[in-house]
Amino acid sequence: MSFFDLKGLLQPLGAVKQLGKNPHTIKFDDLNRDAADRYRGLHYNDLVACIGCGNCSTICQNAAIDMIQLENIEGKQGDSGLRPRVDNGRCCWCALCVEVCPTGSLSLTKDYIFVSEKSSDFLWIPGIDNPKAEENNRLSFVSTTSGSLSDYVRVPMKEMDSKERILTFDEVVLGYTEEEARKEAARCISCGLCTEVCPDHMHIPEYINAIAKANDDDALKIIYDNNPLPEMCGKVCTRRCEEVCALTHRGVENDPNDKGAVAIRWLKRYATETAPTIELMKEIINHEVAEPNGKKISIIGAGPSGLTAGYYLALKGYDVTIYEAKAKGGGMVMYGIPKYRLPESSLDKQIGYMQAMGVKINFNTEVGKDIMFDEIYDNSDAIFVGIGFQKAWTLGIEGEEAKGSIAAVEYLDIINRGDNYDVGKKVAVIGGGNVAIDGARVSRRYGAEVTILYRRRVEDMPADWEEIEAAEHEGVHIAIQTIPTRVIKDENNKVIGIEYLKAEMVSDADGGRPRPVAIEGSETILECDTIIGAIGQEADYSWLPTSYQDKIKVDRGRMLTNKARQTDDPKVFAGGDAVNRTADAISAIADGFIAVKSIHEFLSK
Amino acid sequence: MLEKEQKLLEILKSAFQVEGKVIRNRRVEIWDHKEMVPAILLMVKTQLGYKHLNHITCIDWLEEGKFQLVYTVFSHTDKLTLFVKTKIDRDPAIMPNIDDIWDQANTYERELREMYGIEFPGLVGDQEFILEDWDEMPPMRRDFKTDVYAEKTFFAQPGREDAQDVRETITKRSGEEIPEFAKKYSRD
Repeated sequence: MSFFDLKGLLQPLGAVKQLGKNPHTIKFDDLNRDAADRYRGLHYNDLVACIGCGNCSTICQNAAIDMIQLENIEGKQGDSGLRPRVDNGRCCWCALCVEVCPTGSLSLTKDYIFVSEKSSDFLWIPGIDNPKAEENNRLSFVSTTSGSLSDYVRVPMKEMDSKERILTFDEVVLGYTEEEARKEAARCISCGLCTEVCPDHMHIPEYINAIAKANDDDALKIIYDNNPLPEMCGKVCTRRCEEVCALTHRGVENDPNDKGAVAIRWLKRYATETAPTIELMKEIINHEVAEPNGKKISIIGAGPSGLTAGYYLALKGYDVTIYEAKAKGGGMVMYGIPKYRLPESSLDKQIGYMQAMGVKINFNTEVGKDIMFDEIYDNSDAIFVGIGFQKAWTLGIEGEEAKGSIAAVEYLDIINRGDNYDVGKKVAVIGGGNVAIDGARVSRRYGAEVTILYRRRVEDMPADWEEIEAAEHEGVHIAIQTIPTRVIKDENNKVIGIEYLKAEMVSDADGGRPRPVAIEGSETILECDTIIGAIGQEADYSWLPTSYQDKIKVDRGRMLTNKARQTDDPKVFAGGDAVNRTADAISAIADGFIAVKSIHEFLSK
Repeated sequence: MLEKEQKLLEILKSAFQVEGKVIRNRRVEIWDHKEMVPAILLMVKTQLGYKHLNHITCIDWLEEGKFQLVYTVFSHTDKLTLFVKTKIDRDPAIMPNIDDIWDQANTYERELREMYGIEFPGLVGDQEFILEDWDEMPPMRRDFKTDVYAEKTFFAQPGREDAQDVRETITKRSGEEIPEFAKKYSRD
């Protein structure tokens, strides 16, 4: 072979003869090169569904996920406003973050190729760096509730059987056992979104974690840090905390009622039940009472706000006296809530504990009658007013003054005092709030046939779903979309029935909730022996002398205060139903707690 | 129903006095002391036709102080999967070597040695399996803190300093004051 290989040079040219023929290969583009169905590629986050609970960041085994503030995303109730950012230099694509995402907003995509010369580009903000992943159908590893490490189903609460409970005023809810409480507490992901919604900002994740770690004493101590009536709250709180629980976003698939929210209220109840006596409470809570500082505080009303203010002020060394018109403390929670929801002994224990810690309560002492406001005002360094809403609104219909027509608060008051009230065989309750349901369920316990008349639909009722459900189980009939027009009475001025109009729901043009509009000619008569009105309450200010009214101002039934719960008279503070707009026990407690700080600040000047 | 499964369980129970149960169709499990495991495996392989070793896996029962080893074997004739389970101490973790029964067990055992720190006396093969220059605790043990390791081994990307704590963000907004003694129960 010569150095110059002519054959070797020319032979490749033979390929020219293939020119114009069909190729034997297939086109590369025709192959499906997409990743597998459950491929774990780059993160994607639905920024609207995400609530910034930070569960992804907590579980990340490589500390690769940070929670950061993004532009245009504001925090709100039930949303921290933070969003996750992944350090892709550390991520090992284990996808635990997706597994535990309570909203299911976080997922992994089929995209796995990402090239950049700038190392900062590897700080990946899911949903911002790949905004169209969902739109383009790129999601592959998505979160499911069934296979998750998070548990979306609440430990059910045991209750007395509905047939049995209408025969008695014994407590219906039976409480968690230790085992159940630990299991339920372990479901909490400790994000703390609930604490913002709680009017009193209780330390919810902390005490639930203490229960989960079998440290009930610490749980009770944490609870008592800013709530001196937790046993009451543990039984009857309106628990707005549970509405924003991170687990509700998808737990609703399992239970449309509790939505899988952690049973915060029942867990608080469990913690308080671990200290059944006042002595034990003193020992566990272990609050120190400061040396008396010689300053006198008077509190009007021993309801939740007054008691809260009294307790924490007493701890600070103030000489606290509460004036209460009734024979027992607790206010509306004592006289307005039936005993099958909140037993008297439970309230006695909690108030007894406060008295043991130095809070003086003068029962049967009505301000404006037994003692004058002037006297209290002159003898105190500061005053807290927590008078509540005890006067019921009247129905405003013809004949409502007839015998057998009574306001629910008055009715409940009579029953809770231990007196009797004969409701007869048939009862009509008007209203859709918790007070209406209470009136109805109490009447059921007296063997009456009960009908609730409510203007809107069941889903519009402001009462707790549990209360509505319990009432239905106990045989209370709910007549929805009914507007009472007239009380029918006999010649002795005794109620024999109520006339109402049926209503249809008309959607509100301004986007509000639908309004009931009466259907003309739909008058119906419901026979009944008693009519219980429960459409709202207001405060009674007859105790307040007019000379004070330029400073202690009342506007549309509410006392006016600043954020510190201080009225224009610097010495007078106020809280509870008569001040706030939410009118529930926990808001009253929060008012009392805020007032404590303000009063302490005011008197320390 | 489940006759094949029951029969296998009966044979094993009478031969070794093991405990066990039929999990479901085509799944049988037994459990015994670790010393018995090689004998059971040799017997099922040579006498009962369970010629295929699917896998050896390990579960860390940290709270109990035990490792659980699961040997999964399969019979092509019976089409049955048998799980042979045993619990051994976590410290020291020693398990009889079975790579003379199945050669491929050698690979699984080396992996278990590296990932869980289980010793198999007489096991031949490099100490190092997948991990290079590893001088930490075996990483699949549950008390190995991955985040602590990641923190000290891999530097964080610059620019992560703006990270915020969710609980803190919320307390700042609401004005909640968490007492000092309660903070140990807050989320890390």
